[in-house]
Amino acid sequence: MASEGGLDLPDRLQVERARRGDAAAFGALVRRHYRAAYAVALAVLGNPMDAEDVCQDAFLRALERLDKLQQPERFLAWLLQIVRNRARNFLDYRRVRSARPLEDLSAGTDETPAREAERQELRRALGSALAELSEIQREVVLLHDLEGWKHREIAEALGLSEGMSRQHLMGARRLLRERLGAKLLKEYSDD
Amino acid sequence: MTDDRIDFSALDPTRDDERFEQIVHSITTAAARELAARRARASVVGQVALWWRPLLAAAAVAGIVSITTLARVQVAAPDETADVGLAEAIGVPSQIAEWVRSDEPPTPTELFVTLESE
Repeated sequence: MASEGGLDLPDRLQVERARRGDAAAFGALVRRHYRAAYAVALAVLGNPMDAEDVCQDAFLRALERLDKLQQPERFLAWLLQIVRNRARNFLDYRRVRSARPLEDLSAGTDETPAREAERQELRRALGSALAELSEIQREVVLLHDLEGWKHREIAEALGLSEGMSRQHLMGARRLLRERLGAKLLKEYSDD
Repeated sequence: MTDDRIDFSALDPTRDDERFEQIVHSITTAAARELAARRARASVVGQVALWWRPLLAAAAVAGIVSITTLARVQVAAPDETADVGLAEAIGVPSQIAEWVRSDEPPTPTELFVTLESE
């Protein structure tokens, strides 16, 4: 998989290839940035399936507008802005229609029913807890803890200082700990 | 330093490789038409680019030749006699050419007689 579409090439080159219609290059960009896009969409929407829909929509939108991207090396920041805008539009659209409850959503995996039920419970608990955070707190905590970004990267992508990124992360984690308890916490080495 | 990260793996769309491949496939499939259009455009632009330079060079040569020729014509025919000769050569009546040379406007009668005689 690593060599498909020159997966290890920098964004700038992948963007140039995708502009010429190289499907492998576009696929490589999707693989590389999907989780970050998903984290941002989830932060706005609070709903995994909607976040996936918005991600797909945002990647297609990004492809259509790829010629407008002035700095191909900043593809990710540009993509995340598209994701954020599409997610907010989706949220507005959803507000005037009925929202899909989080517990109805299945990830469609081949896990055992018991394990899947446990996942669903975790998903529901996480969704409820995340809903209590501000959007910026959700973005920071998801980009940091789900996507594994450093504060420097988060700060650059979201237009914050690193200090603010840390502050949002601390606040988000504190609230999530209160809501979720110790069962969802893991020990990792920090950046 | 260690910290207590929140375990978001239950929400991680990439934790299941097969499912993630489905997601990527779904996006790239939906993008197929736009990618094909881009390939077609890139191909047309590429063809134009191939022809653009020789075409530009030929246009430049034609431009230079035209300018040089015009300049020579203007240098070779600066006097009025040559202008009148040219006018006569293309069928302008000699009397009219004479009026042009003399700067005196013809009377209506002269003009009528001249045009009638032609």
